[in-house]
Amino acid sequence: MTTAIQTRALTKRYGAHTALHDLDLSVEPGTVFGLIGANGAGKTTTLRLLLDIIRPTSGEVRVLGIPPRQGGAALRRRIGYVPGELRLATRGTGRALLSHLAQISGPVRPGAVERLADRVGLDLDRRVRTLSKGNKQKLALVQAFMHQPSLLILDEPTSGLDPLVQREFLTMLREARDAGQTVLLSSHVLSEIQQVADRVAVLAAGRVVASGAVADLRLATTRRIAATLSRITADRLHALLSAVDGVADVSVTAAGAAGDTVRASLTVRGEIDPVVRALMAGTLHDLTVEEPDLEESVLDLYARAGDAS
Amino acid sequence: MTALTQERPAVLPVLRRLLAEGRWGLLAWTAGVAAAIALYIPLFPSMQTPELAGVLDSLPPELVRTLGYEDVTSGAGYVQATFFGLIGFVLLTIAGVSWGAAYTGGAEESGRLELTFAHAVSRVPYAIEAWVALLVKLAVLGAVAWLLVRLLDGPAQLDLDPLNLLAGVTAWASLGLVCASAAFAAGAATGRRLWAIGVGAGVAVAGYVFEALANNSDDLEWLRSASPYAWAYRSTPLADGFDWGGLALLWVVSLGMLGVGAAVLSRRDILG
Repeated sequence: MTTAIQTRALTKRYGAHTALHDLDLSVEPGTVFGLIGANGAGKTTTLRLLLDIIRPTSGEVRVLGIPPRQGGAALRRRIGYVPGELRLATRGTGRALLSHLAQISGPVRPGAVERLADRVGLDLDRRVRTLSKGNKQKLALVQAFMHQPSLLILDEPTSGLDPLVQREFLTMLREARDAGQTVLLSSHVLSEIQQVADRVAVLAAGRVVASGAVADLRLATTRRIAATLSRITADRLHALLSAVDGVADVSVTAAGAAGDTVRASLTVRGEIDPVVRALMAGTLHDLTVEEPDLEESVLDLYARAGDAS
Repeated sequence: MTALTQERPAVLPVLRRLLAEGRWGLLAWTAGVAAAIALYIPLFPSMQTPELAGVLDSLPPELVRTLGYEDVTSGAGYVQATFFGLIGFVLLTIAGVSWGAAYTGGAEESGRLELTFAHAVSRVPYAIEAWVALLVKLAVLGAVAWLLVRLLDGPAQLDLDPLNLLAGVTAWASLGLVCASAAFAAGAATGRRLWAIGVGAGVAVAGYVFEALANNSDDLEWLRSASPYAWAYRSTPLADGFDWGGLALLWVVSLGMLGVGAAVLSRRDILG
């Protein structure tokens, strides 16, 4: 079976600025591949190269076995694409826009558009210009999925969507994978990628800094924990928490009018179970476990790469 | 309701979409052209007075030549000087240049080209279909102008030959096509709407100015050969019929600009 996406030493320069540096990417068919990175890391550049919207400075690309420029319109018929910067300024309705886009996509089954619009909660009869960002994003999702393409290339597909629709979207992705479609999606939200992707690549400044199976990457092993407790003194809690392996930045302060509650915050690398057990020494009133944002994770990744060498 | 399905790739999807979306704009421009014709043409009989001839005689000959009013006392001369050579030329240029700029630079700046090219549309076919949409819209304006002037011919005592009127309208629309194609090519090459408008308007203005300068100086006569305005009107088509050489020049230049625009568009990155 042909690799769905294969790039070798793919490079894109804009004058002196290198947007993408020697990218080697391999996406197997029937899998969901996540491309993570902060803004400006080269995600959008990569996806636009795959669609032949921009051309590489050097290196090779194959999409569904064919170089995009050579594959042309026939190749893009088999791809569904959500652009990263979606600006839909059409006067007509969503239905009219989708009808046009259906004419320049692969064949769309009867009722497919209505079914998809229904799933994401999009009103097809409203004028596109008057739609909110989230609703425009739904329109973009519908046009990408409507012809059941072999390959879905999605640039920040959930931006602007409310949590319920995001969940529905993740379900749609799993269904697509189960139907044998390949998905390449980019995001700067780590949790989204972790929930659905089989493999990921982390981009920073136009280079891949990490890649592999999601489980192997252990990207978000650092978490920030905050808790409010009573029936325990600040000193004792501090001692208990500091004794846990992987815990850092411990801060415990007395809180509450009578000084009968304490507030603790810390970061932990690795399992959170020992931390939660330590907190059980008091009576727990409130607990939050925060995932670090992507930038911290990537920095952490760099740091660990540095430690290992 | 439109069916959202199709078994085979649709025929000329870009052309059909541009025409469908542009129908209200085209209607507005048609109304504008009709209003200009309805305003100027019926005045012709009342202009046929000794007083007007006296006024024209008293004006500096340079001004009369610049305005193209040398022959304003004949029906053909009057229609040419007031409509096809002036207000109609301005209207058609603005319409054509704004369409040419919208289909290339404007579509790219709005992100629409990215979405179109991410689908099963290639760049050269897009350029050709969009240019044909320009052509169709200019032809509609031409047909409306021909019909209206024809209707007013009797009441306004113009005494224009219908075939010569067709020659004049064709020259007018072809001149508009050159300006629109210049905007189209500049937009396709740069991806910028403002560049497209600038180049399209620049070609129109330069053509008009070159013609006016050549009218007033034998030394500058050569400028006429570089003026699309002169290519269209140098042989007074309203009075003397089709000037195939001039029309061929206008069309070769328009098609050449389509070719250059399409070639650059198909080779470069689409701006994000």
